[in-house]
Amino acid sequence: MEITRRDFLRISAGMAFTTLLPKSLLPLHAGEAVAPVIGIARGEKSKLAKAAIDLVGGIDTFIQEGDSVCIKPNISFAANSTCGATTSAEVTRQVVRLCLEAGASKVMIVDHTIQDPKLCTERSGIEEAIIDKKKVSLLTLTKERQFAEVEVTGGNELQVIKVAKILENVNKFINLPTAKSHSATGVSLGIKNLMGLIWDRGSLHRKNLHRAIAELATVMKPDLTVVDATRVLTSGGPGGPGKTVALDAVIAGQDVVAVDSYTVGITQWYNKSFTGKGVKYIVAAAELGLGEIDTERMRIREVEV
Amino acid sequence: MPDVNAPAIRPHRLLRWLVQIAFLAFFVFLFVQTRYGSPARVKDILFRFDPLVLLITSITHRTLINAALLSISVIAITFVFGRFFCGFVCPLGTTLDICDGITRHKTRLRRSVRNWKYFLLLFLLVSAVLGVSFLHFFDPLVIFERSLTLVFYPVFTYLFGLFTDLSPMVYTETLVAFGVFALILGSGFLAPRFWCRNLCPLGGLLGLLSRLSPFRFSFQEQCSCGICETICPTGAIDSSRNLINPAECIDCLRCRYECPRHAITYGLHLSLVPFDAKKRHWIMAFGAGLVFASLRPLLQQRLHGRLIRPPGAVPEADFLNLCLHCGKCMKVCPTNGLQPCILEAGINGIWTPRLVPRIGGCEKNCNMCGRVCPTSAIRTLSLREKTFAKIGTAVIDRHRCIAWEQNMVCLICDEVCQYNAISSFSETIQGTTLLRPFVDERICTGCGICESRCPVEGAAAIQVFSKGEERKRTGSYITEEKVKLRACEEKPEDIPSGFIQDDN
Repeated sequence: MEITRRDFLRISAGMAFTTLLPKSLLPLHAGEAVAPVIGIARGEKSKLAKAAIDLVGGIDTFIQEGDSVCIKPNISFAANSTCGATTSAEVTRQVVRLCLEAGASKVMIVDHTIQDPKLCTERSGIEEAIIDKKKVSLLTLTKERQFAEVEVTGGNELQVIKVAKILENVNKFINLPTAKSHSATGVSLGIKNLMGLIWDRGSLHRKNLHRAIAELATVMKPDLTVVDATRVLTSGGPGGPGKTVALDAVIAGQDVVAVDSYTVGITQWYNKSFTGKGVKYIVAAAELGLGEIDTERMRIREVEV
Repeated sequence: MPDVNAPAIRPHRLLRWLVQIAFLAFFVFLFVQTRYGSPARVKDILFRFDPLVLLITSITHRTLINAALLSISVIAITFVFGRFFCGFVCPLGTTLDICDGITRHKTRLRRSVRNWKYFLLLFLLVSAVLGVSFLHFFDPLVIFERSLTLVFYPVFTYLFGLFTDLSPMVYTETLVAFGVFALILGSGFLAPRFWCRNLCPLGGLLGLLSRLSPFRFSFQEQCSCGICETICPTGAIDSSRNLINPAECIDCLRCRYECPRHAITYGLHLSLVPFDAKKRHWIMAFGAGLVFASLRPLLQQRLHGRLIRPPGAVPEADFLNLCLHCGKCMKVCPTNGLQPCILEAGINGIWTPRLVPRIGGCEKNCNMCGRVCPTSAIRTLSLREKTFAKIGTAVIDRHRCIAWEQNMVCLICDEVCQYNAISSFSETIQGTTLLRPFVDERICTGCGICESRCPVEGAAAIQVFSKGEERKRTGSYITEEKVKLRACEEKPEDIPSGFIQDDN
């Protein structure tokens, strides 16, 4: 079909006119349609993970029959499991169980620990989460060959980074951080937890750390982030010991930036109140367009169990 | 080959082989089991039955080594039945038998060389009386254990690490340990069991005892075919004089079963075989002991400023007396941080354990080194007690630290510190607020996790020095003051720079 000059002008004018329409007249409320959902469950520890995930659509939204799943808890430190420096075995076990119930064929609990993997495994008690010896396994990464170089497109701080190969071999990735303070980054939550899937952590500290952490989230995209805030190490992190607060809460969401940003506000850190906008690495991640930082623009659902 | 026409496997040889292999397998099994998380303390069973440890270490340290008291049983049995330990139990002896079986060399040496083992024993005794132990160079069980750790374990972990997630262990000093082991095995080219018959001081000690043993092999009739003399692996038989020297005989049974006339039997037989050692050799060995012991200040002179001993190590002089240099602590260290000294603790301190934090720090929740130490050169401390045993102090090199020098948000040392001994404090320079790490020397235990994780390339910008180390023979490391200091919740800490702060 040919377009005459007259048609062209008419269509252009019509299109230009629509921009003048008030937002409310448009059929879709574009801004709100993508507003991320955050679920927070409080109360009885043994029910928290399911309750929080149910608030954001239930596990079936994320895991389908036959999926192989990588769960990344934070067991980097051989710290006492009650101090909050590591993801609790209890919450991990619940998430594993949910995955299996949703029909996952294989669940791998993966971490590249900072301290000795044997000690970290032992102290965190994470092996309790292996509820089915055939389908569930624990993998502590120790070898460089378990990581592969990935290009960071549009990265300022990172150009290439060695990421755990396991992420290529699974089709679902659940990020399962513990909420804790961090002596360099302020807090350590979902995005910071991704640092446990790269080979050379130290190299990030030689760069602009906050921005580099945010850039990690461009390479690794969790399908679901579940924050274990049952015991929150609010100072002395990331390894503890420090001040531990029993919040008995679990936060879940698909948007890792939103989850992190929301979680910052649920307790005080170093005896001071902060919001997600007060944490440099979360701000950097939001600037990269990786998710929503403004809690006003999230749909927050709460439940008491 | 003298026994070419004999059947390939004879029952008595098979029996002895089975016993030998069983013991070897048992010791290797115990070695493998000596790892983090294994509960029992019997992993040092090898040394509990080592009479040489009992003798030399007790004399050097002027205290009875209780752990080795069981070795009296070996002494007692040898006293009655001869050097069965060498022929059946000793893992180094079995290893040599295997090697000799492969090389099949049958050269014979002048008899006089065999007395060296007594001279070596005398040398060890004299130096022990004067307070220096050279046991680690000559004790066969120590050599065996150490070779397993320093030579075989790295290869083993590397090979297994290729297809499992086992991390390869590496040791800074493998070469000399390998050299000693290779020399001993290689000496089989001169004569079978060259080491056992000529040099081994434990063999010498047991030989002296079995000189008097009433039960032994002896000729029942006069004969002269000489087969027994050629097959004897230790050259104990003089067939022309129909004599079997009980000090050399390792009860291997070969002559008893391979004599065509069944002329040799095992039973009660009393006679004293004359010593053929020359007096001047004894004097030379005695003199060597005196000379080397008097060189102690030279041999035990620290040659390195950063000698960090494992937590619970007794005071240095006691430590050097007690330590067997067996390498168990290095085998068991989960971070691979415990490494053998080369010259750091002096020439005589070779293979003693030293923490090299750049390779691996001392984990807070581990006390394995003290639990496996056979002589308690490293004390067995409870997990809590161990965390209070200070082994050194971390020092920040501000010129190389990237937080101090380049304003980087690093602070990994603060992050990984297991005791919260490192805190970050802010400083404002030309309007920019910067966080800098500081070490609290009162809290720092010198574990070195910070040094192992420091991201500065090459040598770390935070390093542990032995200053402030606590070495105690007895008593607790826990003091009220230390406990108070460690109550970390009141510890001041600046807000991390990861936060954006609006108010000032």
